[in-house]
Formats: sequence, structure tokens, C-alpha cells
Amino acid sequence: MRVTLAFIVVAVGPAFRSAALCDDSITIELFARYCTDCHGEKRQEGGLDIGRALEQKPLVRNTDVWENVYERVRSRQMPPPKKKRRPTEDERQTILSWIDQEVRGFDYDSIDDPGHEPARRLTHHEYENTVRDLFGVAVDVVGALPAELEATSGFDNSANSLFLQPTLLERYLGVAERVVANALPVDGPTPLTRAARERIFVAAPSTSVKPDAAAREILARFVPRAYRRPTSFEEVEEYVEIFRVATSGGLGFEPAVKKALEAILVSPYFLLRAHGRRKSPGPYRVGHHEMASRLSYFLWASTPDDELLELARKEKLHDEDVLERQVGRLLRDERSSALGRLFASQWLGSDQLGVRVRPDPIDNPFMTDSLMVSMQEETVMFFSHLLAENRPISELVDANYSFVNEELAKHYGVAGVRGHRLRRVAMDTSQRGGIFGHAGLLMVTSHPGRTSPVLRGRWILADVLGMPPPPPPPNASELSPEVERRRRLSQREKLELHRVNPACAGCHSRIDPLGFSLQNFDRFGRWRERRGRSRIDARGRLPNWTEFTGPSGLKRVVVEQHLDDLTRQLARKMLAYGLGRQLEYYDVPAVRKIVTKVQDDGYRLRTLVLEVARSYPFRYRKNRTGVSRQEKGG
Amino acid sequence: MSDRAKLKLTRRSILHGLGATVCLPWLETLAAASDSAGRLPGAAGSRVRAAYLYIPNGVADGGWDAAKVDDEGRLLALNKWMAPLEPYRSDLLLPRNVWTPRGNGHSAGTATWLTGHHYDGKRIDAGGASVDQLAASKIGGSTLLPSLELSLRGEGFFSKSLSRNTLSWLSGRQPASRETVPRVVFDRMFRGGGRTETERSVLDLVLGQAGRLRREVSDADGRKVDEYLDAVRSVEKRLEFAEKKSKAVSDDRALTDTLTRPAPGIPTDHQEYIRLMLDLVVLAFWSDATRVVTFMLDHGQSNRYFNFVPGVKGTWHALSHYRDFSGKTEDDDGITSWGSLEEKRDMYNEVTRWHNAQVAYLIGRLKGVPEGEGTLLDSSMILYGSSLSDGHEHAAKNLPLLLAGGGGGTIRGGRQIRFEKPRSMSDLHLSMLHRLGASVDEFGGSDTPMTEIDV
Repeated sequence: MRVTLAFIVVAVGPAFRSAALCDDSITIELFARYCTDCHGEKRQEGGLDIGRALEQKPLVRNTDVWENVYERVRSRQMPPPKKKRRPTEDERQTILSWIDQEVRGFDYDSIDDPGHEPARRLTHHEYENTVRDLFGVAVDVVGALPAELEATSGFDNSANSLFLQPTLLERYLGVAERVVANALPVDGPTPLTRAARERIFVAAPSTSVKPDAAAREILARFVPRAYRRPTSFEEVEEYVEIFRVATSGGLGFEPAVKKALEAILVSPYFLLRAHGRRKSPGPYRVGHHEMASRLSYFLWASTPDDELLELARKEKLHDEDVLERQVGRLLRDERSSALGRLFASQWLGSDQLGVRVRPDPIDNPFMTDSLMVSMQEETVMFFSHLLAENRPISELVDANYSFVNEELAKHYGVAGVRGHRLRRVAMDTSQRGGIFGHAGLLMVTSHPGRTSPVLRGRWILADVLGMPPPPPPPNASELSPEVERRRRLSQREKLELHRVNPACAGCHSRIDPLGFSLQNFDRFGRWRERRGRSRIDARGRLPNWTEFTGPSGLKRVVVEQHLDDLTRQLARKMLAYGLGRQLEYYDVPAVRKIVTKVQDDGYRLRTLVLEVARSYPFRYRKNRTGVSRQEKGG
Repeated sequence: MSDRAKLKLTRRSILHGLGATVCLPWLETLAAASDSAGRLPGAAGSRVRAAYLYIPNGVADGGWDAAKVDDEGRLLALNKWMAPLEPYRSDLLLPRNVWTPRGNGHSAGTATWLTGHHYDGKRIDAGGASVDQLAASKIGGSTLLPSLELSLRGEGFFSKSLSRNTLSWLSGRQPASRETVPRVVFDRMFRGGGRTETERSVLDLVLGQAGRLRREVSDADGRKVDEYLDAVRSVEKRLEFAEKKSKAVSDDRALTDTLTRPAPGIPTDHQEYIRLMLDLVVLAFWSDATRVVTFMLDHGQSNRYFNFVPGVKGTWHALSHYRDFSGKTEDDDGITSWGSLEEKRDMYNEVTRWHNAQVAYLIGRLKGVPEGEGTLLDSSMILYGSSLSDGHEHAAKNLPLLLAGGGGGTIRGGRQIRFEKPRSMSDLHLSMLHRLGASVDEFGGSDTPMTEIDV
């Protein structure tokens, strides 16, 4: 049984480097002979360009590509059987062992590269949280900005998908006005806006204080907070000038100060997280103020507070014990619910509720907006709870409780929960408790009209455990005529056909059986014993052929046999989220280190977060000069 | 409830402005305003406009071929699925056997439909600026908005997928953002003209700050700052333009009487929504707010339900895989199934026909607005089509494409042009660029304009 390369890459320790089993040039020649006609410069069947991938050394830069190539060649799907020119058995083995050596055998310890967290703008969520914390009043910003699209990293804070187009800047201008108007309303102050006013208007003109001086005092407090770093006299003065222009245009003191505040909210120093260049060819530690922002945007998705800025000013944030204490403090703060709300929901997919899955009040009147919100909230609160209580990672899967309100409890068939507020409730562990029983997650892994063992299986394997199967082969739909002839088969029997076709079997024998174990949950995540006239068959199987039944069985075997995979996946996802970029091959050593530390500390979730914050890529950076090839081939 | 009623009313008001009133005085005022800003003449000396309308999921084999063509390629009859376009047959050109050799399909095909390059999803790189953005960079300086990027809000899987939701690229590495809310589109064109001294100073200030920041950061980070700089500059430009224009607009009572802002939000009725957006396209061209528009009628792998179209059940993407009619594949929703391949294919075609009817609506509207000696349609080019041909096969060759409008008297319509060898869509892009007044020699791997469309 072969385990996927992606898994091994991270799993094996310092790898062996035997003498070259085969020469590069021989293998390259084989690729040229058998592969690059279709997967080369001229044609990229299936989007694959082997010639280009070969140029990108070390090969682990494109582990996913090579894993795919390996799998296709191994299973004899490629080159296609109908091709006349096919490699001999020896040549096949040569290709396979070459990839094996270059990818699996790659010596990660030879790398010293913390990567580069590129400049980026605040995400809409970060912007919203940041102004909430600057003013102390929550204003809806996300709804006023165009929806953000996701690229490949899976998190909306990924720098490479955060663009700043002219149309967005236009919106920022409007949003700034709206934020200031809502936080500091002219009429009808509430306790919150009164507090905001006190916080912002720290000075007022009087007989002894000129308006300019009062504005300067106000802005000198606000600008460094908005810039997340100390500011010079001149930097504040720029906004005093805006104030002057506004007053000379006829505005009174407060409206003119507001104009200056609005200007700050569209400044590149506020909207962008870009940090000064340090001329250094090698990796260097990031500055203390950048570290403050990295911590606060990682753990709060918001701006650093006064304490963080103060520690940055004192240059303490790289001290081990200070860092550890601050991570603890930030996690205890309720703002850290952002990790549940943004990180966990994007990692696990519950953010797709309401985007991809909409409520269905006509055919299924119980599917209300409020139920969908409760479902999302369950996952958010559950994750935040594990973090707050520093629970072991295994509990993500096998908790004996969850968070529900009356409506969600009814959905789950749990009695005795009243009211709209979600609270912790003990669960029947044969059904609920842990993410595999979260209705929202079961919904986003279903089709609109039925459950999908394939989607759920893929979700468990790829998203939860980080063992993604390769994408389906190009001829994937060729099975359908076969399915067509057997319309009376059960869903399980039909998917069993995946096993008949060798092109499908390699992956679907790993995917489908996992998904079947959750068949007791319908597409709304409700429990069911029967489907139509037949009893649900919830037998499942792990990729290593361990058999089990139902969600309780799934939970047990995942904890027993895949806890390290889950931990590694969580570490990778959390690091990618924390850095705001996709992980690259040079991040593998950092991931390994995090995983080891977490394993040594009883798989505690908070330890994982702390280790991400302490990791090399989180605290260091290496400059990039255009497109570079960092390492020579391994 | 009442919102929807209001919206209908609103749309009618806009239509009223378009069709029923005599709008020439306004038009000329606006034209004068933009002329004074130093407009570049189009290829044919008139203001040529281009709209790129995208539909996903392809069109079933046979759904895009004319039923009757004479020896010289003249269109004598379209087919039954294209029937809604029949009234405009003489304004249409059907280029057949055209494709995008470097990328096609739901994801890469959408992202590169207007760039003519490969798509690299990991780097987020569509190879270069899209044809509309290239045109905007060349001729957009003469209009309020260099270009307009529209899309309908997605539904179902992939609604947040970047590649499936992006036609327009400012550069290969920077997707343009798109508008999905009618009121926002309207406001960008017709509101927010006046600017105070303070607002002017704010833009100057942040522009200066961005210049400073640019010098402080590394080259790799500089790109993001450049994006910011470009954004501020183009906002400044737009505001300057709007100031000039709002003067012209406020002088014109007819305009203030006919233009009504759309209600906020998105209409629940899909046809209502799409037509409201199409009305805005007409308004944009008519008022010369912009000459370049892209409009995604759905995202690149739309699984929107089209059960609201009589005789159709199921989602668009599922329908496109019409050879699987069991309703049991992973593309299906689990509720819908079909009796036969033919039944499902006909529904797939019905969805195409429904979109054809919407495009016909746009063409009709443009034809209804007089401009100079002719109509708005005469000076426009509407390129409409998909990045797939037969959706079930994910076929790349022979894309369903249609070009409507006279391109300022440079395009001879009423024809089907069947190329013997597959022609690159980039050739067509190049021809349209030239008509827009963008003098470029090469686009998306092509240096050969599609001269066959010429008069």
C-alpha cells in the first residue's frame, strides 16, 4: 500500500541521499520521449507541462505535480495505453525511482529559507476588525465591499489573492466616510459611540488651545495606532494639514477632524501591510512592529493593541518568554475568536454555508437563515473553545460535546435546550461531538439534493487529514455509461464500480469508504437510520484498509491512526494562515518542528498556535528579488 | 416584496429613458464634454464600443450552427435555439471553427478567454492583460470610466473561485474586480461628481505617501504599492472627469428626469437582474461613460438552477453534461434526473436559448438608440460566447461565438464565416482592438487580425 507522497514528504525525517540511482539526463530523455509531446511546451494536456516542471528545481517545489505524475505512471494510466510508443518496464521503474529519489529523498535540512510574506492589503474582515478596535464601534465593512475571491491557498488572507484595484479604492473612500460617520455620529449617541468619542477626541479647542493644536493632539494619538507603528511629527502633520484645508473650506472643528480621520483610513500605510526593506542577502528577523502586526493579525485578524505596540517599541517581542506570554494573552482575549470565525471556518469549509449552500425555505422550511447561522456558529465556537481551554487536537474529532441553541438542538434531536444562545451541551457520541457531526460541515460536503460519499470522503482525506488524492484522470467520466446500464444499483454499489476501473480505483478506494461512514447524516446533517426502505450501511474503511462503522468508528480510527496527520495538517493550515501565504517546500522544516513540539506536549491546540508564532518563517524573512531560483537541485 | 416591486418600477424607468424619450440633446452635451477632454478617434472615426459577454458551460453540439446559409455564407436562418436572435440576423456574424489554443474549460478557459494565454493557477497568472483592459489602457482616457467589469452574482459551487469569476485582468497578475450590484454600477457612472478641496488634498496626500512607501519597501513588495498608486491615479482621473461631466449633466433637465437609480441589492428574479445589468451596459455606451465592458452572465462553472425557464430542470453545469442523464453522477444535485439524453440536451439548449434571448434584448436596445446617422448598435461590437463548445465533452475547438454590431461601419454582418483551419480567438481580439482605436500589433499570441469580418 503506497501512501501519498505529500504525506511522506513531511513524514520522513532527514532523508537518505544514496548515490544517484539514475542519472538526471536519462530520465529527462525518457520524459522527452514519452511525455512532453502532450505535456510540454506545445501542448499541456490536463494543464500539465512536464518540461517546465523539470526546470523548477528542486522538484519538491512542485510536489503535487510530481505526485500526480508518479501516480499516473505507477498505475499505468500514463502514457495512455492506446499510445503506440510506451515505456518498457525498466524505463517505467527508472522514472518512478527518479521521482521517488528527487521528491521523497529530498534533504529538507539543507534549506535555510523562511520565505517572504509579501506586502498585502488588509482583508475585508481585517479592515472591519481593525476599525472596530481603533474606534471601539463595530461597523459593517465586509458587506459594503465587493466579495473577495479565493485562489489556491484556501484562506482569504493570502497575500497573492489580495488585489487592490481602482474600483476597490473608490469603495474604500466611501467606506472610510461611513466608518467615521457611524463611529462618531453627530446625533443620537449610544454608550458605545460616546466611548468612541472620548477615545478619539482627546483634546478640544478652547481659549487656551488653538484648533490646530487640539487637532494635532487628537491625530498624534490616532495616526500611530492606525499605522501600527510610531510615526514622525511630519507624518502626523500631513493630517493636520487636511484638517486645516477642511476648516478653511468652512467645516467646524469636529467635522474637519473627521475628514482627517477619513484620510487616514485610505492611506497606504493603513490599508497595506508593507514593511521596510532591509538590505540583507540572507534571512533576517522581522522588525518588532512588524512582529506586533503579524501576531495581532494572526490571532485576532485585527490591529495590535497598545500593549503589543508598547512591547514593540521596547523591542521585546522577539524575547522567547515575552512572545509566549503575549500569545497566551492574545488567545485569552475574546478577539481570538477570529481564529474560529476565519481560520477554522475557511479551513473546514463552513464559510461556504450561505455562499454556496443557501437556505431552502420553500421545500425544506426548517432550513432557515438562523439555523444556517447557528451551524456556522457551532464550528466557530467549538474551535474557539478548544483553543481557549487548550484541549488536545484529538478532541476536534472525538469531543463528547458541542455547541447548540434551541433550533440546532432540535435539528440534532437533542431535547432540553432553550433559546437562541449557543451553549456547550453534552452529546451522544455515537452521532455528534467533533467536527464529523457538525451539520454545517456535513451540508457543505453534500450536493444540493443528496449526500455525497465522494465529497465527504475527499473532505476528510484532503482537508481534514491533509492526504489529498490526485485529481481525477482526464477520462473520469467514461465510467458513466457503465453506471447508466446499472441504474438500479444502490449508491454504494455504483461507487463500488470505481474499483472496477483501475483509473479510478487508486484514489476512490481511499476516498469513498471514508465518506460512506457518514451516510447516517443526510444532506442537512440530520441523523437518519434508514434511507427509503433500506437501512443505512455505514461501514467505512481507512486508506490502510482498517475497517470501522459509522461516525463513532470514524472518530476512533482517526484518533488511533491519523492523529499525526491531523496534527500536521492543522499545523500546515495554521502556518499558512498565520503567514498569509501558501506554504512552499522550504516551509517543511518549520512544519516538522511545530508537529514535534505539539506531539511532545500532548497534542495541545494552544501549543500548536504558540509554535506557529515561534516558527522560523513567522519571525524571519528572506528578501526576494523578482523571480528567483533559490536552491540548486537536490 | 415591496423592494421587488420598486425595482421593477425602477428598471422600467431606466428603459423609459432609453427607448421612449428623445435623448439626442443629452447625448450631444455629453459628447461635447468628452470631446473637450481630448478623445481619441476610433478606427472608423466614430466612437466604437465593445462589450464582451461570457457564458459558461459551452453549448451543445449543433446548438450554434446556422440552419441555413447560402453559398456566400449569408445567414438565411439561425437554428431554433438561436431563434431569439433571428430579428437581428443581419447584424450578426457567426465565426465558426475559432478556438483558444492555449487554454479552455471552466477554470483556465474563463480566466484566459480574453487574454489568449495559458493560466497558471498557482501563481495566479493569466499571461497578460485581457483584451478589454488593454483597450481601456489605450482609449479609456477619453471616457469617465476606462472600462466596466460586470458579473452576475454566482450561485452554487465555485462561487468564490477566482479563476472562474475573472474575465478581466489589469495585468496577467492582477484580476480586475467586478461589480455585481446594479446600483453600484449606476452610481459609478452617474453620481459622485462634485469634489471638495479637502477630498482633492486627501488624494494628493495618499498619492504622495504611496510614492514614499514605494521607495521604502523591497521590489517584491513594490508591486502591491504600485497597485495602490495606479488605483489612486485612476480614481483621481475619474473624479476629474466626473466634475466636467456633472456640469454637462446638471445642465440637462431631460437627463435628471429620466435617470433613476436602481434600488439597492440584487433582484431575486434572475431575468430582472440580468436585464437591469444589460440596461446599464446600454446606458454606459449611450452616455459614453465607457466604451469597454465585460459582463459575465454567470461564473465559469455555474451550477445555477434554471428551473425558472419553462421546460427546464436542474443546474446549468449538470445539464451541460447531458450524456449523463441518470441524475446520479457527481455533477448532479441528487434531486433532478432526466428520462433520456435527448430530453436533457434539449434543456441544456433551452438554457442557451434563454441567454440568447437576453443578448437579443441587449442588441435590440442598442439598435433602438439613434446615434449620428445610425444607431448605437452600428458603432458597437458585442462579442458573445463561451470558453467551451460542447459542454459534455469539455470540447475546446469550434467555440460558440457571435459578434453583433457594426463596429462603426467596419463589420459586415449577416454572415457565417466557417474557417477551414481552426483560427485563434486572439485574431478576433486583435481585429476588435484595432476597431476600438487601440493600435497594437500583437495580442494573445496573434499578429494576424481576422480580416474576414471586414466589410
